[in-house]
Amino acid sequence: MTSPLPAIQARNLTLTLGNGGDAVAILRGIDLTVPAGQTLALLGPSGSGKSSLMSVLSGLECATSGSLSIAGQDFAAMDEDDLARARRGRIGIVLQAFHLLPTMTALENVMTPMELAGMPDAQPRAAAELEAVGLGHRLSHYPAQLSGGEQQRVAIARATAPRPTLIFADEPTGNLDAATGSDIVELLFSRRAETDATLVIITHDPSLAERCERIVTLADGRIASDNGA
Amino acid sequence: MSRAFTRALPWATAWRIARRDLSARFRGLRLLLVCLFLGVGAIAAIGTLTGSIEQELATRGRAILGGDIEAQVWQRGLTPDEEDAFRALGTVSGGTRMQAMATAGDLTAPVALKAVDAHWPLVSPLRLKDGRLAKAPPEGEVWLAEGAAERLDVAPGDAVTIGGEPLKVGGIIAEDPEQLSEGFALGAAAITRSDVPVRAGLTSPGAMFRSKIRVSLDPARNPQGVVDELERRFPDAGFTFRTRDKAAPGAERFVARMGEFLVLVGLAALVIAGIGIGGGVSSYLEARRGSIATFKVLGASSGDIARIYLLQIGAAAVAGSIAGLVAGVVVTPLLAKALGELLPVTPGLVLNWSALGQAAAYGLLVALIFAAPPLVRARTFPAMALMRARISPLRLSRKELLLPVGLGLAAIIALALANAAQIRVTAMFLAGSAGLLALLGGLGWAIRHLVARLPRPRDPLLRAGLANLHRPAAQTGSLVTALGFGLSAFVMLAAIQTSLDANIMARVPQRAPDYFVLDVPKDRQEEFRAAVRGFAPDADIRMVPNLRGKILAYGPEGRMVRVADLAEIPDDAWFLRGERGLTYADALPEGSTLVEGKWWPKDYAGPPLVSIDADLAEATGLKIGDKLTIGVLGVERTATVASLRRLDWDSMGFNYVLVFSPNMLADAPHNLASTIDVPGGEARGGLLRALARAFPTASVIETGTILTDARALLSQMSTAILAAASVAVLAGLAVLLGAIASARASRTYDNVILRVLGASRRQLLLVQLAEYGLLGTILAIVSLALGSAIGWVVIVEMFEFEWLPDWPRVLAVLLAGLAVVIAFALAGSLPQIGARPARALREL
Repeated sequence: MTSPLPAIQARNLTLTLGNGGDAVAILRGIDLTVPAGQTLALLGPSGSGKSSLMSVLSGLECATSGSLSIAGQDFAAMDEDDLARARRGRIGIVLQAFHLLPTMTALENVMTPMELAGMPDAQPRAAAELEAVGLGHRLSHYPAQLSGGEQQRVAIARATAPRPTLIFADEPTGNLDAATGSDIVELLFSRRAETDATLVIITHDPSLAERCERIVTLADGRIASDNGA
Repeated sequence: MSRAFTRALPWATAWRIARRDLSARFRGLRLLLVCLFLGVGAIAAIGTLTGSIEQELATRGRAILGGDIEAQVWQRGLTPDEEDAFRALGTVSGGTRMQAMATAGDLTAPVALKAVDAHWPLVSPLRLKDGRLAKAPPEGEVWLAEGAAERLDVAPGDAVTIGGEPLKVGGIIAEDPEQLSEGFALGAAAITRSDVPVRAGLTSPGAMFRSKIRVSLDPARNPQGVVDELERRFPDAGFTFRTRDKAAPGAERFVARMGEFLVLVGLAALVIAGIGIGGGVSSYLEARRGSIATFKVLGASSGDIARIYLLQIGAAAVAGSIAGLVAGVVVTPLLAKALGELLPVTPGLVLNWSALGQAAAYGLLVALIFAAPPLVRARTFPAMALMRARISPLRLSRKELLLPVGLGLAAIIALALANAAQIRVTAMFLAGSAGLLALLGGLGWAIRHLVARLPRPRDPLLRAGLANLHRPAAQTGSLVTALGFGLSAFVMLAAIQTSLDANIMARVPQRAPDYFVLDVPKDRQEEFRAAVRGFAPDADIRMVPNLRGKILAYGPEGRMVRVADLAEIPDDAWFLRGERGLTYADALPEGSTLVEGKWWPKDYAGPPLVSIDADLAEATGLKIGDKLTIGVLGVERTATVASLRRLDWDSMGFNYVLVFSPNMLADAPHNLASTIDVPGGEARGGLLRALARAFPTASVIETGTILTDARALLSQMSTAILAAASVAVLAGLAVLLGAIASARASRTYDNVILRVLGASRRQLLLVQLAEYGLLGTILAIVSLALGSAIGWVVIVEMFEFEWLPDWPRVLAVLLAGLAVVIAFALAGSLPQIGARPARALREL
């Protein structure tokens, strides 16, 4: 379901890490509006600020200055805990290194965000989601017992199971071989299509970027080009 | 309260996630488990043992007392009126107790004589070594305790004399159920019929004997009610009553105090274990940084993180505590066996729920206090940790620590004080332990910073070893605290024990007389001196009149307070309880210093006067000119306080709190007590025999025998305390292993790099040896200094003894402890040294 509000509305976002003489400006005034349901690729060389922008947009990090509204919620005014609660059920994140909880099975990994969000029926929903990503036979396996591709499928299931309106994926194929990466991309787009969620993908891969409706390129903490602007 | 707490995850959901994330075998939390297991186990074992003994004393109270109530009175038999009153209550058995001399041929032994009537025993029979269950010995026979039989070299059927009366040894005592209620006695027991001491003259007027009467009551009657009635009826008779509920108050007090003290030692060990708990929880959460960050990415707030990990750590703490409780209960019978003769009774196994609850509560509270800081720190760990290697942790709020740590500490102190019979001692122990821990913590911190400022050694291996003591995340501070506490306790105990031992062996015999003699007839004073001088011409003989009496009333004339009317006798006015030794003298006794008033002139004939101990005056508020009424042999006598004296208890000779002018007491029937100091200690056996023959009614007590018994008791008590303190060292070792485990990744990395650069395994071992050798040396210095300092305070300031530690033994104990520490450290480090560079580089 799409929301009439823009999924992301950022104005003059900056992010500076470190203090005093050690301070490094990572983001230097980002203005970005992403309509709900859009697919967007963030491109740029290493160190251009792609991952940092994603961290700020997904509420993993607080911007140093500027305003940020995610689906109408003022993220700039929230602290770490408020941002965590704001993510629950609304934002799904897929990371390059999968970051599954090593002590939990695939099923438990997928259940966890729904349980944190207080959603009922976390277990059947998680099982159904894993079935949908082709891992119905791996429910009780631990991450260490799964291949890289399978782990990323679990991560996608974990991100999409709560039916978020916004999905972030940070180099989702970065740790995978080309064939597996391609499967994962297919899966990611098909799961998104089912929920019509907004999707922001960070990638170095121009062909992956081409699959998105909009491509934003970052350089040195600023938006260098935006084909949707 | 922050919003994070108010809107946190429901506990049930948090538990579901926590349980999922928790390894069934508590992987990563085993240090916490081991530390709690050790600490809770020690306290549970002590509590269970104490409870079992107390239960045994309580359930066997009637057998121990030999009746439902007992009345005791000094230096007289019961009046017909008193006897009738007791007989009206139920079945009675009477008798007397006194010190006496037993002889067999040329051998002599002091015995604690228990003379009983034909009705004895009212409850449990005596067990003899040949297996017989015996009652009162037949006329003309004696049941002898094994110690006395050995000393006299006699067996059943042999002849002995007691107080000069010839008797046949009827049997050797294996177990007298009443032994515990008989109180302190010098010499082994001998049981005869009650006519023996009468015939021997041991109960003649003035002799130091006690009459005892025991009553077996109708089961419906309440013993305390009966005692209250008797006290009302005979207020000034001088009776000391006991009931079956408190059959052996001395033993009960000893067990309770010793148990309380050992629980405190266990608590101190648990606090050391707490350092391990803190370290264990810290490493556990550190290893879970990734999971914590992932939880946060998935929407967990810091409050949710706290709940999830609090539940995990709580589950491990509960498991460790339960295991400790079970182990504590299971080892109790072994502990009882090991402590053997130190225990007044052989206890069964009783589950003392309050002691177990106390042990578990201590364990969980200590876990809370030490786990709170890493847990609060974990809350602040940001989700961004997944995205960047270098993150700035969120600010640690000290306010959030205040609640768990403050509440935990307050609860521990409250629990310790609520269970304390001696609140002051407990408070001092707690304050002392906290001070010691703080001192050790400070020292650890200082050492770490000092080592960092030392010039770098040129030897690369030594340099690496030294660097390990102050590198970031080095645990030198907590290791000095954890291991230093246990090792300091070892040094302190060794120094105290060897000092006390040396004092008992060397100093006490120098200061104390060689013999104490009771019941020398006062008209045979010169004969006694001559008999002693016949064997030891240079002997120093002091003789004083010796009576017993009870303070009945005291205070200013016209406003005297009767002791019987006091609701409670203050602790420091112990002299008001029961009958006490009294004397009279013309001149100020040796070893006393007059602090107020005047001494009466020789041959003083005015109104009777008394000189009292200044401490008693302070406790009772007595002043010069006040009156003091005593009861001696049923007669009330009143004297005026003429002076206050300070006693020199160190002199170990006669010290009387009350010394009267001769005209107050000289007419009362009494005997003399004497001390004999024999220079060089010659003529011991001969003197004892001669005195026993010439003065059969007198009893001679050898100081040497008392000291041997005291040393044996001291040694057993030291063993018990050492066992409890060992838990502190074990906990320290657990902390050490935990520290090694938590630094495994960085140490393995270092070792692999050194291997890549060409270091051999032997050289890596030398690095570890240098590090732990240095740590060991620091620990040795710290423990020796702190342990000796505390030991010195205890010996010199508290016991007022000389500081005579046996340094070779103290150092041996310390070095043994250190050797164990270094062996554990090296053994724990071996897997890191053995890591294969190629494989480790792939995995790191």
